[in-house]
Amino acid sequence: MLTLTSPVETPLHRWPAGLKLALLCAATVLLFRLTTPLPLAAIATALAALHLLLGRSIAATALRQLRPLWPFLALLALWHGLTGDLAQGATIALRLITAMALANLVTMTTRLSDMLAALDRLTAPLARAGLPTRRLTLALALALRFIPVLSDRIDTIRAAWTARSPRRPGWRILIPAALAALDEADHVAESLRARGGAG
Amino acid sequence: MTGAFAQMDQGIVLRGASLVIRGTPILSDLTLALTEPRIGIVGQNGSGKTTLLRLMAGLVAPSSGSVMVDGIDPARDRKGMLSRLGILFQNPDQQILFPTVAEELAFGLRQQGHRDAETRARAALAAEGRADWADLPVSTLSQGQRQWLCLQAILLMAPRTILLDEPFAALDLPTAARLTRRLATLPQRLITISHNPAAVATCDRILWLDSGRIRADGPPGAVLPAFTAEMARLGEADADPHLPR
Repeated sequence: MLTLTSPVETPLHRWPAGLKLALLCAATVLLFRLTTPLPLAAIATALAALHLLLGRSIAATALRQLRPLWPFLALLALWHGLTGDLAQGATIALRLITAMALANLVTMTTRLSDMLAALDRLTAPLARAGLPTRRLTLALALALRFIPVLSDRIDTIRAAWTARSPRRPGWRILIPAALAALDEADHVAESLRARGGAG
Repeated sequence: MTGAFAQMDQGIVLRGASLVIRGTPILSDLTLALTEPRIGIVGQNGSGKTTLLRLMAGLVAPSSGSVMVDGIDPARDRKGMLSRLGILFQNPDQQILFPTVAEELAFGLRQQGHRDAETRARAALAAEGRADWADLPVSTLSQGQRQWLCLQAILLMAPRTILLDEPFAALDLPTAARLTRRLATLPQRLITISHNPAAVATCDRILWLDSGRIRADGPPGAVLPAFTAEMARLGEADADPHLPR
């Protein structure tokens, strides 16, 4: 299950969402300004220390959330190993890890409703220009709600396959999973309609 | 219900309503005036119960005939329906739209134009002794708790009629008993679908739906024994003859 906001309260939970988003922006810009591995390594170490200060469970979750990066890191290592430009490779890798960890940290320590409220404020000028910003925040909330629902559905489909087949399901569950997603979309549309639509 | 409220409340009126989906008739020529406080709809799987509920809620429009809720077409005037009619889906996971409890509760209120939706949602949770639920991810709730959340989200919108689709189907016995007690105290008109006669035995009126048509319509004492007998007969007919009795 993907529960984005950490249930373990940290001091960071009490910082305003807008401030955290602004700091995240500034930090990411800074990360891309740094072009040598040493300062990036220092920042990464400091960030790791910060995670440990916030508690072991947060640090463990944060480490788990970095897992999707490994294929990219492996590719980087392979490429820069071949070209022999290891400093450049380390710079890119550290930058990726730090930027992702920072973004994850903000997500973990910000309640969704605070995040949506901050987003509402940020998009307020667009609303004055007549753009449907409430739909934007609604779409975001729906995405956050249905990522775990769909991953559960895929797990169920995989289990149903495995229960009746000696082979691993692999790509073969793609079509039932896609159909399940469409099915889910129908139900969401109906539930939205039952309570006044997306407007 | 008294005075002006009763005058505005004309209930749900179907006139020759039919629904055909891709050439297959699902509901045929239904003419009904539903005004009783507690109404039960029984029928076999596939008899059209859920479709009838969706038709009354305005989630589908009839292919012919008309459906009116308090004189308003529920499929067209969605905003007008919000204070008149709420629907509890059979599967709470198909009803819950938001990742946290408070947001799910606030959504309907916001749709009704309440600016203090979030505050009201939190106050309602506190009144139920569940203030600490506000920021819980809905994915951590049990099936019964999700259904409670769905019902609460509808009750906050204070509709005059609530449509319930097999509300007890997925609940364990204590949770079902709690829900029954809760529903009994509601001032709203309740229209409950069930394939289980016991679940609707205390209703004022029972509709028996069979292949998209009304097979019987009357007080539970008249309709339910006949329904139960027919379901038992069908069960006999379908029984596997090689199995020992």
